[in-house]
Amino acid sequence: MSTNQKASVVIVDDEEMVITSVRAYLELETEFEIHGFTEPEQAVKHMENHLVDIAVSDYLMPRMSGIQFLTRAKQIQPEASRVLLTGHADKQSAIQAINDVGLYQYVEKPWENAQLLLIIQNGIERSKLLRELREKVSELDTAHSSLKNVQKRLLQAFL
Amino acid sequence: MSQPDPPEALNELASLRAKAERLAAQLAEEHKMAELGRLLAGIVHEINSPIGSILSNNQVIIRSLEMLKSALASGDRAALEKSGRQVETCLSLAAIDKIACERISELVRGLKTFVRVDSAEMRKADLNEQIENMLKLTQCDFRGRIAVETDFGALPPVECHASMLSQVFLNILVNAGHAIDGPGKITVRTRAEGGGVHISIADTGHGIKPEDRPKILAGGFTTKAVGVGTGLGLSLSKRIVEETHGGSIDFESEVGVGTTFHIRIPVEQKKKAAG
Repeated sequence: MSTNQKASVVIVDDEEMVITSVRAYLELETEFEIHGFTEPEQAVKHMENHLVDIAVSDYLMPRMSGIQFLTRAKQIQPEASRVLLTGHADKQSAIQAINDVGLYQYVEKPWENAQLLLIIQNGIERSKLLRELREKVSELDTAHSSLKNVQKRLLQAFL
Repeated sequence: MSQPDPPEALNELASLRAKAERLAAQLAEEHKMAELGRLLAGIVHEINSPIGSILSNNQVIIRSLEMLKSALASGDRAALEKSGRQVETCLSLAAIDKIACERISELVRGLKTFVRVDSAEMRKADLNEQIENMLKLTQCDFRGRIAVETDFGALPPVECHASMLSQVFLNILVNAGHAIDGPGKITVRTRAEGGGVHISIADTGHGIKPEDRPKILAGGFTTKAVGVGTGLGLSLSKRIVEETHGGSIDFESEVGVGTTFHIRIPVEQKKKAAG
């Protein structure tokens, strides 16, 4: 996967109008790359092939719910932050989402642009840090195993 | 012919009958409100998306106009070009705002038909339109789970209490939705038939058990959990259709396949005897 400079944002909502509005705002205020999908399945495909920093999803959608989509997103790219953007008045679903999917944030519709932007910026920051952390850990792992090798060879040389 | 009743007994009977009618009307009203309350979560969801869009678009358009204003004042070529592109975005956002407003007003129209208190007299109404309005309200709840198919025939205007009939349609649609676990389909069909209209509402739900069938049109029977149904919806529907409108309501059901309700309403009401 490439380490592209521009942060990548995925927005999933079966309402085209929501995607267009959020896209227009983010394009005006940021340099983010915005990928909007009205079909969660297509967003899943996108995430299988492209690095994504944050996925923002509606809750009630035909065929695949926001919770199902974000669960898939978590499996594909665990470091990508997950946000639920919903107008559903039912708090129970929010609680379930937060517990089941490990949501980064829950935003209610109608949303506040400035608040949504802040959440997206922080979410991107978080996923970049998580990814860096994972790289560092794996570097440490390699260093650790090569050290072990050296140690083994040293022991063999002396015994 | 029996002996004529003494006048005081007749008076008492009349006042008792009036009281019973008043209580029945009150019960119907309360049931309507309870049903509306249960639908509200879905309706709120359906309204919040377009409102979110409109609010966001408004902010973007204002920002863009400010950018354009300062670009025009400075005359800077790059700034003007950027603002020119932004104007295109604003035009598409304005088009979205229109769609969003229409969506909200459709829902509000549906709600208005539903809460309107019927005048004492019946009026001619387009029942296809009444059903369409109720479908808009229930679709908020069905969305993502139940596909609704409509097959509307040309219907003559029907002399009726439109909001009472809307309550019947809503009640049967909501029941159909409750009967379906997981994904399913509801088919609504209307036809002009003889001197009346025939409305059928079919669901692919779990069906009604044979032993429950004789009970479901009677009051106080429900298979739904506490808080989901009052067990009064269908008995009220039966009264509205049969007693108020001189129509008929019946159903056929197969366990595991689904249920179809048939409502028949005469186009014209027989003139009731005066007094």
